[in-house]
Amino acid sequence: MGRLSWRLATVAEVRRETPRVVSLALEVPGWDGHLAGQHVDVRLTAEDGYQAERAYSIASAPDGARVELAVERLDDGEVSPYLAGELRKGDQLELRGPVGGYFVWEPDRGGPLLLVAGGSGVVPLMAMLRRRAAAASDVPVRLLYSARTLEDVIFREELAGLEAAGDGLTVTYALTRAQPAGWAGYARRVDAVMLEEVGWRPGERPLAYVCGPTRLVEAVAGHLVALGHDPSRVKTERFGPTGVP
Amino acid sequence: MTVDETDLRLDGNAVAGTLAEVFGFDLTVCWGGCAGCGATNQLGALLVYAHGMGTVACCPGCGQHLLRVTRGEGRWWLDLRGLAWLQLDEQARMTG
Repeated sequence: MGRLSWRLATVAEVRRETPRVVSLALEVPGWDGHLAGQHVDVRLTAEDGYQAERAYSIASAPDGARVELAVERLDDGEVSPYLAGELRKGDQLELRGPVGGYFVWEPDRGGPLLLVAGGSGVVPLMAMLRRRAAAASDVPVRLLYSARTLEDVIFREELAGLEAAGDGLTVTYALTRAQPAGWAGYARRVDAVMLEEVGWRPGERPLAYVCGPTRLVEAVAGHLVALGHDPSRVKTERFGPTGVP
Repeated sequence: MTVDETDLRLDGNAVAGTLAEVFGFDLTVCWGGCAGCGATNQLGALLVYAHGMGTVACCPGCGQHLLRVTRGEGRWWLDLRGLAWLQLDEQARMTG
């Protein structure tokens, strides 16, 4: 599934998620759906004709002509300061997609699922959780989400709500830089011990999706394989140096 | 924070749109064989370095350059010598 042509999307809503992340709800005429985990390419054109393209994961489950992205502002970025700082409701931007069918989960693929996110790497995993909820799927899911601080956690309230539904989702945070007073959770980067405590046993044959900064993704994928998980059931998506927790 | 090659490494997912533009297929779900070590991977699993000059996709097993893509002056340049074979799945065909 996917479309190649660039088309104009209109910003329907801008919502601040964290000090560095905004959600952008876009209306895309003719959008015919996407799979949870896919992304779009966004293209900006300057007045002098210079163009910059970036890939952004879709955060929303398929829902008519509306597509939601979550964009983290990178201070030295070419595109994200505009998307996460200046874009307003009613503005237009060019996008193409959905693209990328590799890092995708749909309810019929089953589980159990282990989702590991670093920073804004939670975005495509959120699409999977929203898809799962919309489909009333009871596939068991464990989300391990590494962020710098609790304030940097994207979708925190919604994740709490999904977890409270009691249909088989557990959410575990690892706060790497600062923790609120009395924090009883993990206060370090994701490591093998944590993956063993939070994740499934290799014999339970989980499907693992790991997304975030490149270093986190490669470390986690390496740990999972070393713990005995089937490499073909560990899918990764590297976001590069962005949002290092 | 220091940024080195590790931080800049992406994977096939990041260039799904570019590869689809060139090939007309979602290559991230298509399988290819490395001419160096023989490993087979879906292209979404390849290691990718996207520089100003273009994109290089490497075998996650041995690091061999499988695919180089550059655009300039209204042309695409492809160097596929590291790829022993590439399977294009009809299911992965993109629409206009």
